[in-house]
Amino acid sequence: MKIRFALAKGRVAKKAITLFHELGYVFPDYSEKSRKLIFTDTTQSIAFFLVKSPDVPVYVATGAADIGIVGRDVLLEHPADVYELLNLNIGRCKMCVAGIKNKSLPPGKKLIIGTKYPKIAKDYFCQKDQPVDIIEINGSVELAPLLGLCDLIVDIVESGATLKENGLEVLEEISSISSRLIVNKVSLKTKTKAIKPIIGKFDAQQSFPER
Amino acid sequence: MLTNYTIEGFENIQYQGYEALFYIQSKLRNLYKLYGYHQISTPTFEMYDLYAAEESIVSDDLFKLVNHQGKVLTLKPDATLPITRMAAINHKDPREIIKFSYLTNLYRNFSSPEIIKKEETQMGVEYFGNNNPECDGEVIEIAINSLLKCGITDVHIDLGHVGFINHLLNSLNFCDRLKGELFQLIENKNIGDIAEFLEKNLVDKKIGHIILRLPKLYGEPKEIFEEMLSMCINSEMEEVVQTLKSVYRHLEEIGLGKYISFDIGFTNAMNYYSDIIFKGYIDNWGEPVLNGGRYNHLSEKFGIKRPAVGFSVDILKMMDYMDKNALLPEDNRSKTAILYDCDSKVHAYKLADNLRTKGESTELFILKVDPIAFINSQSHNELYKHTRFFLMEKNHLKVYNGKDFIEIKEEML
Repeated sequence: MKIRFALAKGRVAKKAITLFHELGYVFPDYSEKSRKLIFTDTTQSIAFFLVKSPDVPVYVATGAADIGIVGRDVLLEHPADVYELLNLNIGRCKMCVAGIKNKSLPPGKKLIIGTKYPKIAKDYFCQKDQPVDIIEINGSVELAPLLGLCDLIVDIVESGATLKENGLEVLEEISSISSRLIVNKVSLKTKTKAIKPIIGKFDAQQSFPER
Repeated sequence: MLTNYTIEGFENIQYQGYEALFYIQSKLRNLYKLYGYHQISTPTFEMYDLYAAEESIVSDDLFKLVNHQGKVLTLKPDATLPITRMAAINHKDPREIIKFSYLTNLYRNFSSPEIIKKEETQMGVEYFGNNNPECDGEVIEIAINSLLKCGITDVHIDLGHVGFINHLLNSLNFCDRLKGELFQLIENKNIGDIAEFLEKNLVDKKIGHIILRLPKLYGEPKEIFEEMLSMCINSEMEEVVQTLKSVYRHLEEIGLGKYISFDIGFTNAMNYYSDIIFKGYIDNWGEPVLNGGRYNHLSEKFGIKRPAVGFSVDILKMMDYMDKNALLPEDNRSKTAILYDCDSKVHAYKLADNLRTKGESTELFILKVDPIAFINSQSHNELYKHTRFFLMEKNHLKVYNGKDFIEIKEEML
């Protein structure tokens, strides 16, 4: 029985593939430039494919993939009915509210928030009873407050270097983010014998160092 | 201009699908009848207050409407509540055994995700007035058979018990919000965040350690029993283990043990469940197709103390699975169409009657155009794909052979 992995393209996938190698799985077809979409290991026990990160929970929730590796930011933004079994402690960063350094905002006034994560931003400010308008932006979110598009941004912050260079600062931390291993709710039960050892291996490697 | 009137979350059932749905329905109806269940039906509308008070379903998920008296109604989101009330109204003696089965559509206004259907078709049974493990066993047995009888073989039943977690958490005196949050984390087996939650809320180390083991409490029943016993901190939890043991032993004795696995870490959205709960899965099908459980206190709301257990199966999901895996019988019964002219009406109707008596589906068309032109006009119509065409002209019967009409004796039909 083959176990299918959905990996979020980018850094997380690279780390996951390194981890596969360390766990002893060999993917002869895989290279970063390969045009193939699905890669199977030599023992035919696992296969993985790369998709855009918001698609990972979709593939896993519907059972098209048994296991997925994706950042918690995606799971918060696109909630899915899956088991969030392991915190892999890779790709660690923080979801933050940031704004222009030393610029005070009038209290109680409605704020305009620019973000790639409209749901996370809405949930956070709603819970604080802070009135906001949310503008969805798809990239270079740091640009928006500089041009006066919005008052604050909600985004993931890793080192804070980009913020600093552009005269922005973190105002509040919403939550900490790291990559999660998610599992389809039915697969975990119907393929227990195949999945449990794989999860066990990941669990044992859980605190593997950031590279 | 054409307007698009499709509503998101609702869909038509095509004639092929309906045939399949009817096949499943008749199999299950027959099955439930053979186990002594009586089919009943409750109204499509329910009082909004009934569900609002129950708190099982988020009120945002209910389709609401206001009737002419200003009362708020809702489209029925669940079958168990109305059936329990029906049993309470019509059967006043709590010792009576009542077995009901049902087929119903249910409506939930899910806000997300978009792919979830807002209209479901469910069949199921409710068994009132019996609190034995054998009674739980009967309902699980029928649930398994609901799938087996339709040719689905890779059946898994995941059995749990709401009491184990509840009796453990009761000792913590959490408010409902915190409890809900923790339930959600346990439900999603989110071990990393559970640890964080326990630390943040200063949960006692010993109990915290047990909570952290809950998400991993799934798999082979025999292994789970040992594990569970080592986690009990009060007698109520020990009782839960005994209950599960006796239900499992019963299922094993009647030969159904191989279908059962355990998951003590799952909670159920419907908080009227009081004891065992279960879900049913099919191999390689990403979501559960059936679920059920025991709800011993629900009937008290309607004035009668009466234990009960039941389950429901989503027959549209079953249909999708069976369609994908070619488990549905093909409809290859032959069909007949007779084209007749004005002079032959009486004769044609008589012939059609005879054929229908024999069980042959027979249609009649009066000839207004050339018969071959008529047949050609329907040649791309899927509905007439397997139809034999006959022509009754001046009381003479001919059959269409794909090109022409040739004479045929009526006795040969």
